[in-house]
Amino acid sequence: MAERYPGYDVLAKRHTPSWNEQTRRVIDARLALPREPRFLSEDEFRTLVAIAARVVPQPADRPPIPVAALVDHKLEKNHGDGYRHAALPPLREAWRRGLGAIDQEAREAHKQPFHRLDAPTQDAVLKAAQEGRLAGAAWQGMPSALFFSHRLLRDIVLAYYSHPTSWNEIGFGGPASPRGYVRMGFNRRDPWEAAEAREDDEAAARQENKRVR
Amino acid sequence: MRSATLPRERVVGVTPTGGAALGGLALIGFAALLLARRSAVAKTARPLARVVPKLPEPTRAARPLPEPRPQPPGLPAAVRVGRRLNQASGVLAVAVLLDSAVEHYRGSFENKAMISPLVSSALSIAASLHGVADRRVAAHRARDTVYAVAGLSGFVGTGFHLYNIGKRPGGFSWLNLFYAAPIGAPMALTLSGMLGFLAERVRDNDPSEAPLVLGFPAGRAVAALAAGGILGTVGEVGLLHFRGSFQNPAMFLPVTVPPAAAVLLGCCAARRDGAPRLLTRWWLRATALLGIVGVGFHAFGVARAMGGWRNWSQNLLNGPPLPAPPSFTGLSLAGLAALRLMEEHADG
Amino acid sequence: MSDDPLLVPRARHGRAPDVFRPGGWVPMQQYREDEEVDFAIVGTGAGGGTLACRLAEAGFSVVAVASKKKWRPLEDFASDETEQTKLYWTDERIVDGANPLQLGSNNSGKSVGGSTVHFAMVSLRFRPEWFKARSKLGYGADWPIDWQEMWHYYDEVEQALKISGPVRYPWGPKRPRYPYRPHEVNAAGLVLAKGAEAMGIEWAPTPLATVSAPRDLSPPCVYRGFCTSGCSTNAKQSVLITWLPRALAAGAEIRDLAMVGRVAVNDAGRAIGVEYHREGRWRFQRARNVVVAGYAIETPRLLLNSATPRYPDGLANSSGLVGKNLMVQANQAVWGVMDDEIRSYKGPPSLAITEHWNYEDRGKDFFGGYAYMSQGPLPTLWANTEASGRGLWGQALMTEMEKYNHQVGLKIVGEMIPQERNRVTLADEKDQYGLPISRVTYSWCDNDRRLIAHSLRFMGQALEAAGARDIWRQEDDTCHMNGTARMGDDPRRSVVNADCRSWDIRNLWICDGSVFPTVGGVNPSLTIQAIACRTADRIRTLAARGEL
Repeated sequence: MAERYPGYDVLAKRHTPSWNEQTRRVIDARLALPREPRFLSEDEFRTLVAIAARVVPQPADRPPIPVAALVDHKLEKNHGDGYRHAALPPLREAWRRGLGAIDQEAREAHKQPFHRLDAPTQDAVLKAAQEGRLAGAAWQGMPSALFFSHRLLRDIVLAYYSHPTSWNEIGFGGPASPRGYVRMGFNRRDPWEAAEAREDDEAAARQENKRVR
Repeated sequence: MRSATLPRERVVGVTPTGGAALGGLALIGFAALLLARRSAVAKTARPLARVVPKLPEPTRAARPLPEPRPQPPGLPAAVRVGRRLNQASGVLAVAVLLDSAVEHYRGSFENKAMISPLVSSALSIAASLHGVADRRVAAHRARDTVYAVAGLSGFVGTGFHLYNIGKRPGGFSWLNLFYAAPIGAPMALTLSGMLGFLAERVRDNDPSEAPLVLGFPAGRAVAALAAGGILGTVGEVGLLHFRGSFQNPAMFLPVTVPPAAAVLLGCCAARRDGAPRLLTRWWLRATALLGIVGVGFHAFGVARAMGGWRNWSQNLLNGPPLPAPPSFTGLSLAGLAALRLMEEHADG
Repeated sequence: MSDDPLLVPRARHGRAPDVFRPGGWVPMQQYREDEEVDFAIVGTGAGGGTLACRLAEAGFSVVAVASKKKWRPLEDFASDETEQTKLYWTDERIVDGANPLQLGSNNSGKSVGGSTVHFAMVSLRFRPEWFKARSKLGYGADWPIDWQEMWHYYDEVEQALKISGPVRYPWGPKRPRYPYRPHEVNAAGLVLAKGAEAMGIEWAPTPLATVSAPRDLSPPCVYRGFCTSGCSTNAKQSVLITWLPRALAAGAEIRDLAMVGRVAVNDAGRAIGVEYHREGRWRFQRARNVVVAGYAIETPRLLLNSATPRYPDGLANSSGLVGKNLMVQANQAVWGVMDDEIRSYKGPPSLAITEHWNYEDRGKDFFGGYAYMSQGPLPTLWANTEASGRGLWGQALMTEMEKYNHQVGLKIVGEMIPQERNRVTLADEKDQYGLPISRVTYSWCDNDRRLIAHSLRFMGQALEAAGARDIWRQEDDTCHMNGTARMGDDPRRSVVNADCRSWDIRNLWICDGSVFPTVGGVNPSLTIQAIACRTADRIRTLAARGEL
């Protein structure tokens, strides 16, 4: 699918008044995150990578957002949300169990580990999890629907949209301090915001986005 | 779904260089206008033949007329005052050019007509510079046209601004008066045009007679326009300083000092004796000075906003408008010119 | 030495961080632990921080204990949602019930300044009748405070925070003009406005606790839109930059990174101080009075955790109501897409509001009221909304997310009815300090469901009338929390009296949102601060009469 904000890059504004020092530090640290797992095992990580590819599919023509690594990082830091559903185990335990259980379901139903299944089959397994139809022993009583909505979907989606590449995709203004925004009305953008491509005129948007600063 | 049908919103790419160039040119014009007056006074170039009006013999116990002010040799009063009015018009036009440029840039020049006050005020500046240098007695047709167009543009602009305010949800609410197109701003262009127009009318007079403008004594006409213009500007400032909650006590200055000047000027216009009006003169000078000092206050406001000058791309647009205060300077100069007229010609 | 506010307390050695000057410090009086201070306040949010200020200014010695960090907003706050989750309460709590709550960013802060460091700054007064909800409107419970008294305190708080609000406020009795003028309304807010006009109801720019013009050392809002991730401009008038600097100047001490584990009581049944964990070990601060201001989950948790043989059910709990009557507010929304670019990430999230259904009683099949506001969710919040609200994932989710700059929504703050079964209790699990964590149980009642249904219907129509399409409903979201230590005039049916003084223990006070008997259809922060101001005045009066 064609880009909606061609050529727009939030990172191009790193040294403008839209970013401050503490924001650069934080984003740099996130971008420098190692791609290998620190908390999950290799197998668990492989499963997570495959799941993430289905939940937040990415275009092949750009460097991918390391979703699995970001989730693994959250688990390593044990950075919870501040609450959990009574029927769910704590963060780390929930993920370990859930990843193992999904992989187990794949092996039992389709004779292959999850990451080796083809995309439609993977989607089917995930859908079954979302609808609460998976209840194998590996779940140890954890409802698959709850795991899906409260952990799997949530943590993966939060990880994806914490990365600057995703902000470019959706045309988000990105970091904004000390400089915020001037033009807040309908169909108005400041020169440092993303320009949206019109159906007839992608080149013009690309031109505008090159000048974003 | 892509928004295929909406007009592409153009973000006019005024680069920092462009903006600085515009500002620089305007400042040069502003300085030229202020300096031109002084050099003209210093020079006494080819003195024009001038007949000093003879005083009538005192035949009966008539009210003695005051001594006419000693006329410096050289230019007739009409021309001198005319040039001062050109200057006043020009100063006001500089404020209009810079302010409308910034504000319409903020509005993304969404409507193509938004370029017209920039063009019109720029031409007015050129006309005013020309007028200040011009020592001829007659009105100048090209300048007349430029000024008349400026005067008209301001009215048209007011119409646009009223439409802009009224069409938003809430119509003429406080919120829209604060944040939609500023209701009084285009009239500054009209005032600039009218002052210039009056400058030409004043010139267009027989040097031996008291200048008239469209049948009215010139001094009073200019005074009325200047006083009215000052009050209108006070209204606009009051609205915007109200929006700023008068958070700094200095924000009360432009809603107290100029109105007093306008009232004093109005009173002078109502009198007939031609006596020098010292208080009014000094109050107008104070108002003129306030127009310059105001820029300093506004600069302070930009500096203390988040990110200060470094965040100019936001703060010059969102912050207190730097080019706005010198409107008072232009209008005060016109008021001072009116005073001069009224003093030189007892019932002018 | 690390200055990481997550590890090392900043407020010590006779000074506290100056929130207005990078790297700067303000002098801070410190009290010895064995010195019996007049007031030890647990929590520094809308209740505790305000009270600390007013008591210190009245001449009392005050130590305000805060479980987490004293931020320097200008330096610590990054423009990043994920990083800034450090502002939220992220210690574990269990949620259950028929409608388990979502906590965290919606309602729980762990900062000096409490939730006001991350709140959306909406500052509204209660409708006067709500203070007599049972007698006048037939539901809930009456407050033991008269609305006209509260009106006076609302004035004070609005002035203290320089609330930026409309020149004329369409609802409620006469009130003074807001100290500052309203903010410009962004496109998302204008959609609310158009919808309201189409539906024939009034709307207004939302009164917000962020300044629209300079105020002392606060620059005006720059409309960066990261409000709920912490204001790095310092335009947001949180407790951290308003009441607390005043408190420090008046001689209060703020003890940060200090988690209170117990309120200690002596054999006579009086509170004698607080046990807290700071810099690696447990400590004790003696106090003549203890104020618990940890908000509606931590306050009952602390009272329950402080049980003694004399008070086996927890402190101040003879009524059995500590932890009960938890009320959140309905936070349902309708969302849609427009052809226009909205880019709602610019500016504070809720720039326009209508309180029509707080003041209109006809046409309702439910008790209580709701306000609704425009919205401006940032990417991760929006993505999670689409994912959890609609169950979207895969390409369907990515396609929806691409419409980010065209999406627009309306969200309610809706009154929920107090029910005793909605409660905070102690779970078996323990946290990192060895303290039992909270279990938060919540279930909606029929009235809640009817209110929600009414609001979704109405907002859906309004959004459609404003030109949005592909409208969908977010049916499960709640915000804020109150009620777990309610005030009243009957000790058998309340925990504290109108002065926020507990019935059971004369020198134990509760000053936060827990004391609300009903929750109303407006965000609670202004009311909490007003109650704190009133409580401070009452304490002064009682002290002068020797009744403290």
